Amino acid sequence: MSRTERKLQQETPNPLERAVANTMHEFGGAWIFFNRVMRTFKRTKGHKSAIIQQVADVSTRTIGTVIFAGVFVGAILVLQFDVMLRRFDAQALLGGLNTSATIREVGPLIISFLLAGKVGAYTTAELANMRVTEQIDAIECLGTNPIQYLIIPRFFAIILSSVVLLAIGLSVSVIGAILVAQTFSDINLYQYISSIPRFAGAWTLFEGLFRSVLFSTIVATISTFKGYTATGGARGVGRAVTESAIYINVYIVIVNFISSSILEWVHDFIFWIGALLERITL
Amino acid sequence: MIRFEHVSKAFGGKVVLNDVSFEVPKGDVLFILGKSGMGKSVALKHIIGVLAPDSGKIFVDDIEVSALHSPDRKDELVQVRQRCGMVFQHPALLDSLNIFDNIAFGLRTPQYQAKMRRKLTEEEIGVIVEQKVDLVDLKIDILSMFPHEVSFGVQKRVSMARTLAPSPDYLLFDEPTTSLDPLTTSEINQLIDDLSRKLKVTSIIVSHDMACALAIADNILFLDQGKILLQAKPKEVVASQIPLVKDFFSETKELLPPDWNLKA
Amino acid sequence: MSFVVGLVQSWFPTEIFARHFRALYLAGELIQKLVRQASTGPYRKPQVLDQMLTIGVGSLPIITIATGFTGLVMTSEIAWHMDFALSNVSMIPGFTGQFVLRELGIAIPALLIVSKVGASMTAELASMRITEQLDAFKLLKIDVVSYHIYPRWVATIFSTICLTMISIAITLLIAMFTAVTKYHFNSEEYFSTLSQFITSLDLICALTKATVFGAIIPPIACAYGLKCEGGAQGVGQATTDAVVTATLAVILLDFVMTAIFSALL
Repeated sequence: MSRTERKLQQETPNPLERAVANTMHEFGGAWIFFNRVMRTFKRTKGHKSAIIQQVADVSTRTIGTVIFAGVFVGAILVLQFDVMLRRFDAQALLGGLNTSATIREVGPLIISFLLAGKVGAYTTAELANMRVTEQIDAIECLGTNPIQYLIIPRFFAIILSSVVLLAIGLSVSVIGAILVAQTFSDINLYQYISSIPRFAGAWTLFEGLFRSVLFSTIVATISTFKGYTATGGARGVGRAVTESAIYINVYIVIVNFISSSILEWVHDFIFWIGALLERITL
Repeated sequence: MIRFEHVSKAFGGKVVLNDVSFEVPKGDVLFILGKSGMGKSVALKHIIGVLAPDSGKIFVDDIEVSALHSPDRKDELVQVRQRCGMVFQHPALLDSLNIFDNIAFGLRTPQYQAKMRRKLTEEEIGVIVEQKVDLVDLKIDILSMFPHEVSFGVQKRVSMARTLAPSPDYLLFDEPTTSLDPLTTSEINQLIDDLSRKLKVTSIIVSHDMACALAIADNILFLDQGKILLQAKPKEVVASQIPLVKDFFSETKELLPPDWNLKA
Repeated sequence: MSFVVGLVQSWFPTEIFARHFRALYLAGELIQKLVRQASTGPYRKPQVLDQMLTIGVGSLPIITIATGFTGLVMTSEIAWHMDFALSNVSMIPGFTGQFVLRELGIAIPALLIVSKVGASMTAELASMRITEQLDAFKLLKIDVVSYHIYPRWVATIFSTICLTMISIAITLLIAMFTAVTKYHFNSEEYFSTLSQFITSLDLICALTKATVFGAIIPPIACAYGLKCEGGAQGVGQATTDAVVTATLAVILLDFVMTAIFSALL
C-alpha cells in the first residue's frame, strides 16, 4: 500500500469514495508520467537505435501469440455471424460483415487484451524488477536519466510494434475467418471475398488503425508507469504486474467507448461534407 | 566535505531524521551505525538528492544540495550526483549489459564527458575499466560475462568498480555487507578498507558491522530514533557507557581478532 | 547431424516450450486433483465463501464497468452492421441479444477475470514460493492444493458464473438502450422480439462456457505460480506467462465450444 493510499484510507472511510479517489489517483499518476515521458522525449535526442532494438525484441517475442489469437478471434466471430445470418439466408454477406466487425471493433479489442498480457505485463515485470533491485537508482546515481535510458525506448517500441502486431493480427484473423468459414459452413469463397468491399473500405482500415494506436499508447503508458513506480520486493513486482494487466484492460475498454463515439461523429461529419460537396458540384 | 545542518525528515507522520547535524571532513571515513529502520539509508539518500529534507540544509563542498530540488536546477543536482558514487545494498547491475559495459556505464554519460571536457575513446574507457577491475581484485577475463553468470560476491565487487569508474570525490555505501555470507562479508570489508586507504576518498558507510567500523572508521555516528546518539572516534566508542552502543559493541567483541588494534 | 540439431535449437526456443509444457502439465494434474477433491472433500466451505467475497465481489465493479462500456460499443456496432447488411431494422433485437448471450457477455468478463483474478493468484503463489512459504507448508504437512488452491478454484467457478450472468444482464439492458434510442423500439417490443430468438440452449451455452472458463483459469494461474523460479524477476515472468497462457486458453476454448454449439443450433 502506497503512502497516498494509506492517507486516503485514513481520510475517507467510505469505501465508495475511497474507490473513486483511488481511481482518480491512479489515472492522475499515469497522466503525469505520460507527460513526463513526452517532455523528456522532446528534450533529449538519440533514441533511434535503442527504439529499433526494442521494437525487434518486442515483435519477435510477441508475433507467434498474436497470430495464434488472431486466427481464433476471426474464427469465433465468423461462426457466430454464420449462425445468425443462416436464419435469413443472407450468408452471402458473411464475408463483409465479419471482416468489417473484426477490423473495426472486436479484433483490436481482443488482441489488445492479449498484448496487455504479453507486452504490457512483460514490460512491467522487467521494469519493476529493475526498480526493486535498485538498478534504476543506480542508473540515476551514475548521472543518466532513467526515463531517457529505460522508459523512452520501451514506450515508443511498444507503440510502434503494437500497431504493427495489431495490423498483422487483424489480417490473420481475416484469413482465419475465411478458413473456418470454408470448413465449418459451406460458403462460396468467391462470394465471401467479393462481399468484403461492400462493408470494408478505407474508413474501416483507418478506424482499425486509429484504435490500434490508441490502445497501444495505453499499453505503453500503463505498463511503464506501473513498472517504474513499483515498490516492495518480489511481492511488489507481482502486484505491479497484476495491477498493470487489469488497469490496461479497463482503460482500453473505456477508451474504446470514447473513441468509437468520436469516430462516429467524424464519420458522419465527413459524409455530410461529402454530400454537401456533391450538391454544390451538381 | 559533507555537512548536515539541522536536517529533519518525516514519512507520513513517522519521524526518521530529527534535527541531525554532522560534518565529514575531506578524506575521512564515517560509519553510520544503528538499528534497522532508524534513518541511516535515508540520510545517504539526502546527500545525492534522491530525497528532499523537510527542514534543514545539506552541503556537499559548499553546494547546498537541499536547494537543488526545483526542476530548473536539475542539472546542478546531476553534477553533484556525478561527484558522489553510491554503492547499493543490491549489486544493482544492469542485466542486459555485460560486466564491461556495466562498469563503463558511468563513463559514457554526457555528464562525465562534460566533466572531462571531451568524449572518451573506447580505448581510454577500456583502460579505465581494467584499472578499476584491478582495484577491486577481479580478473580481466570476467569482463565479457553477464551479471547473472558470476557469483554474488563478484557482482558486489563489479558494482563497486562501476561506482569507482567515474572517479567520484565521495563514496557512499548503503549497507554493503547486508545479506552476504560471513566470508564474502569479510572480503568486502577488507576491500572497503583497502579502497579507503588507497584512494583517500571521503566515504560514508551505512552498516551494522561494528567490527568493520572499528577497524576502518575515522568517525562513528550512532543514529537512534532519528537522533544522533553518539558521534565519536572508535576508541571513544569502545569506552562509551551508552546502553545501545554497549550492546552493539558487546555483540561484536567476540568476532574481533585477539590482536585487533584501533585506528588512531 | 549435430549441425542440424544446433540449427533447430537456435530457431526453436526449446527452453521456453519446455517451461510452458511443464506448467501446463502441472495445470492438468491440478485439475485432476481439484476435481477429485470436489467429489470427495474436504470441501472447505468457510474458505470458499471467503474467497468468493474477495474474488467475486472484488471483481464486480471492474467487470461491471468494463462490460458495460464494451456492450455499449459492440451492440451499437452489431446493430449498425445488421441494419446496413439486411436493410431491415426489425431484426436488431434478435441479433444483438444473440450476440450478447453467445459471445460478448461471456468472453469479455472471462478475459477480464484472467487479468484480475488469475494474475493476482499467480503473483501470490509465486511470491509465496520464492519467500519459501510453500516449503514451510510442506514441512508442516499442509497440502497447498487442498488448502490454498481448492477454495480459490471453487470460488472462481461460482464467481465466473455469477459475473457472467450479471454482465449478460447489463449488456442486454445496454443493447435494449441502444435499440430504443437509436432505432426507436420500445422496450416491450424489444424483449418480445428477443424471446423469439433466444432458446434455452443459448442459456445452457452461456453457463457451460462460464463454468469451463472459471474452471480453467485458476489451475493455469496456480501452475505458473508454483513453477516460479528466481527472485523478483521470476515472479514477474510467471505472472506474465500465466496471463498470456490463460488468455490464449480462453480464446481457444471459446472457439471450440462455439464450434460445438453452433453445430447443435
